[in-house]
Amino acid sequence: MIVKLGLSVLLVSSALLATADMNKWLRPSEVPQPKDNKLTKERIELGKLLYFDVRLSGNEKVSCATCHHPKRGWTDLVPVSKAVGAGRGPRNSPTVLNTVYLRKLFWDGRAKSLEQQALGPIKADVEMNMPLDVLIPKLQKIQGYVTLFNKAYPNEGGITNKTLAKAIASFERTVVSTKAPFDAFAMGNKKAISKKAIKGYELFIGKAHCADCHDKFNFTDGSFHNIGLKDGDLQGKDLGRYNLKRRATWYGVFKTPTLRDITKSAPYFHDGSVKTLTEAATICASGGRYKNGVKNKSTYIEDRHLTQTEISQVVAFMKTLTGPDMKLEIPTKFPQ
Amino acid sequence: MKKIAMMLFIAGALSATLSAKNWVIDQKGKTFIPSKLTVHVGDTITFKNSDPFAHNAYTDDESNEFDVGMQPTGKETKMTVNAKESFNIECAIHPNMLLEVTVE
Repeated sequence: MIVKLGLSVLLVSSALLATADMNKWLRPSEVPQPKDNKLTKERIELGKLLYFDVRLSGNEKVSCATCHHPKRGWTDLVPVSKAVGAGRGPRNSPTVLNTVYLRKLFWDGRAKSLEQQALGPIKADVEMNMPLDVLIPKLQKIQGYVTLFNKAYPNEGGITNKTLAKAIASFERTVVSTKAPFDAFAMGNKKAISKKAIKGYELFIGKAHCADCHDKFNFTDGSFHNIGLKDGDLQGKDLGRYNLKRRATWYGVFKTPTLRDITKSAPYFHDGSVKTLTEAATICASGGRYKNGVKNKSTYIEDRHLTQTEISQVVAFMKTLTGPDMKLEIPTKFPQ
Repeated sequence: MKKIAMMLFIAGALSATLSAKNWVIDQKGKTFIPSKLTVHVGDTITFKNSDPFAHNAYTDDESNEFDVGMQPTGKETKMTVNAKESFNIECAIHPNMLLEVTVE
């Protein structure tokens, strides 16, 4: 009787997996690139130098990599980042990983491209605190950078706000996830992940409804939701995308993050308030940290009635989305 | 003469109303189907949510500005094209959704 039941469960699981569209989880064949900033070796290398160069900050102690470091999941592993001056920014550092696949950047989606995003943190007083009208003349006095910019962007006016943004964006376009155990599973190797993780995958695309938002190769559809992390009407708190425009559907919403390499980028959510994947999965699958009285709470966030065992299975699956670090030589010498 | 002018005006208005078309856009698979549309002033666009989760449709174009708000699964909403100015419609939840509307 037990053997028959076990076989039945196995057959149902196989059928579920066989009918699931595994192709949508596979890496796109090309990395998106804008027509006016196609990737070249010169642009990527220049962008990498700029990304790691602390001279781009007001106090010359902070670079893009300080808050988005390759050895720290392309974030900084703290709830909210420390600014150049006193105090901390209001939000968790989002990972740079796979941002090339996103149409909106930052937690509130205010940038429409990596080029639009690149200069924001440099200028922001809660981040690198370096005005561009100070930075550009500074870079123009560094002959090494003048030469590199002319090679990467010939006939584009040398070092300008635009070419600076394009170069940093070019490097960011190369920051992509490597092959994770789940990828081998999606390509047909059914032993690539554990049975527990397989069960977690079935819940992920089924009962738990995680895939409603964490969809396709990048495990995010880039959508914006208020998942009930804060209670009430958020007065005096971070209103997310609503700060861009007072649209009712944007009240308290933030972008769905990728789950690629998710074990490397704790803590989680826009405020960095969640330390573990178990807690994160529980919040999303139980109707939010606050269930009632949350203004504009997403209808995607409902109590899915998962057991603790099922939560642990989902977490086991999420862990299979982490692959090895991408190969990267971090620069130690910078243009003079 | 005035009566003839009035009759011609009414006939014209009636003709425009009768010839106005209703276009149906499906929100399915987190896309607008079709993703491009050519319409005329006075036409209406019906948004039908066929996905198992909520969507939205809005445009910031000043001449045709609208926002349907949260649109649950199965719900239909409608907007009227008021001005001869092409515009884009997006979903406030899913930034990858884009409907390009050309107004002729």
